[in-house]
Amino acid sequence: MLKVNNVTLSFGGLVANNDISMEVPAGKIIGLIGPNGAGKTTFFNIVSGVYKPDKGTIVFNGTEIQGKRPYQINKLGIARTYQVINLFKKMTVIDNVVVGMHSRLNQGYFSALFKTKKAREEEKMAYEKALELLDFVGLKNRAYQLADSLSYGEQRILEICRGLASNPQLLLLDEPAAGMNATEKVELDQLMQKILKKDIGILIIEHDMKLMMGVADYLYVLNYGKLLAHGVTADIQANPEVIAAYLGGDE
Amino acid sequence: MNKLLEKKNPAKHIKSFGFLALLLLLPVIFTAVDFTYGITISCFVAIYVIAVSGIDIVFGYCGQISMGHAAFYAVGAYGSALLSSKLNIPIIISMFIAPVIAAILGALLAYPASKLVFHFLSLATIAFGEITYQLILQSPGGITGNAVGLATKKVNLFGFAFNTSFRFYYLALAFVLLLLAAKTNLVSSRVGRAFVAIRENTHAAEGMGVNARKYKVIAFATSAFFTAVAGSMYAHFVGYISPDTFTNKQSVLFITMLLFGGTASKPGPIIGAIAVLLLNEALRSMENMQMLVYGFLLLIVILLLPGGIFGMIKDLFYKYTHRGGKENAKS
Ligand SMILES: Nc1ncnc2c1ncn2[C@@H]1O[C@H](COP(=O)(O)OP(=O)(O)OP(=O)(O)O)[C@@H](O)[C@H]1O
Ligand SMILES: [Mg+2]
Repeated sequence: MLKVNNVTLSFGGLVANNDISMEVPAGKIIGLIGPNGAGKTTFFNIVSGVYKPDKGTIVFNGTEIQGKRPYQINKLGIARTYQVINLFKKMTVIDNVVVGMHSRLNQGYFSALFKTKKAREEEKMAYEKALELLDFVGLKNRAYQLADSLSYGEQRILEICRGLASNPQLLLLDEPAAGMNATEKVELDQLMQKILKKDIGILIIEHDMKLMMGVADYLYVLNYGKLLAHGVTADIQANPEVIAAYLGGDE
Repeated sequence: MNKLLEKKNPAKHIKSFGFLALLLLLPVIFTAVDFTYGITISCFVAIYVIAVSGIDIVFGYCGQISMGHAAFYAVGAYGSALLSSKLNIPIIISMFIAPVIAAILGALLAYPASKLVFHFLSLATIAFGEITYQLILQSPGGITGNAVGLATKKVNLFGFAFNTSFRFYYLALAFVLLLLAAKTNLVSSRVGRAFVAIRENTHAAEGMGVNARKYKVIAFATSAFFTAVAGSMYAHFVGYISPDTFTNKQSVLFITMLLFGGTASKPGPIIGAIAVLLLNEALRSMENMQMLVYGFLLLIVILLLPGGIFGMIKDLFYKYTHRGGKENAKS
């Protein structure tokens, strides 16, 4: 589904991503790990269109998407969450989700202005579907509160829900468990399993190794912008280079 | 969201019906109490409500500042005046064409400006306002009458002339109801949600599939249309237009009204227009103090009342209805 070939991006002299290749199939959870500053978030920003890579190609379902704008990539079927929570704070929880549906709705300017029958029906359908999605992630009883009134863990879940709203084939999660307590982490784990059943592929960045080892089918390890290793979880755990990078990076 | 429920609430229907009746009777009441000047002020309120509601779309909802909307006010006023007098277009149609031109100009300005961050955007829009002002002051071929200005004709519909404040009031009321309905529809739609998403977090909005640049241009063009409608109303109500009405002071007045009344709402621009206009009337005798007063109002709002008057009312209402604790916030 997603195939990344030899992607490189530098910020001035710093090569944040150096010749990275990766594959993410549908219906699997792929983990991306590495010490702080390894270039993981930068990689997400490239895949989601925030940055254009200096070199390399990104192929999603047969189309090259590198250099496309974020809204175009979202429309093609890649949704994401952010390491730093990026919700629409002064919108209600449900409105956040409906914004996530933007590229799947058809109402144009004039049908909105005159509130045509078609537009009204679409709105009704969108809010019903948003409620369903909120129910799916367990936030239904928060639907009409402002997003910034949610707890930290709930906000992270809402970001996932907002991402799901665009009906993606690939979901990029940037440290979804950061700031969550133990119970919330278990719920997050279960939520990811439920998402997989929808045949959505997940690419996840996470520092919580316990969570990562539990959910990920396959891991990629980044270090100083380079791909250090990749393989099934057990192999990565035993890889001496990976262990060294982590010990070295955790000073 | 809760709007679906509200529609079925008969009390709400009765209330809005009563409100409409009051609006319809207002000029009659003013005439009865022998205060016809009140009708003229009401007409100005209507004009400002439309202009400020337009700015609310781009600033309140979409988060893009414009300090140059007097320019669109001018395009509406001069555009309609010239189209009707030079090309003999019926005024009611020129009052529509001029705002369309303003919307196109707005889009042309917003397209490059949509890349700018807040403070640069405000500088760019000030410059646009200034350029437009200079263009009507020293127009090519003197078409705008330059410093002298232009006399304009009154609106005439099927032989009925809206040539008194009393008559114009009803035309203005119809415009207000129409444009506020359009605004309400727009902001509660996919387009309006995109505006608010851009205001709240442009980066995330793009990530969620919103073409931020496109929607910024749409918001800007829509607000230019509204403000130009107000400008064309002004021209055909007052009967005479000249450049002094379209200085940066006018743009500041719009923004003051919006911030004072409260952004991103329907009542905000209405409350702001009424409050500032009444204050203006009270300060009539010291016209050179007006800018000082606007400045003061802006400071008060920015420092003490960030949600404007309407925001304050909403907060009070929320506190009142949620006294019982946090339980009902959950359901
Ligand atoms: N826009 C930018 N401009 C310049 N340098 C940047 C930019 N974004 C990231 N970097 C740098 O690129 C490197 C990789 O950053 P990145 O955020 O991708 O790391 P990360 O692996 O996500 O780390 P963390 O685990 O702390 O989130 C860092 O050295 C960072 O300072
Ligand atoms: Mg990161």
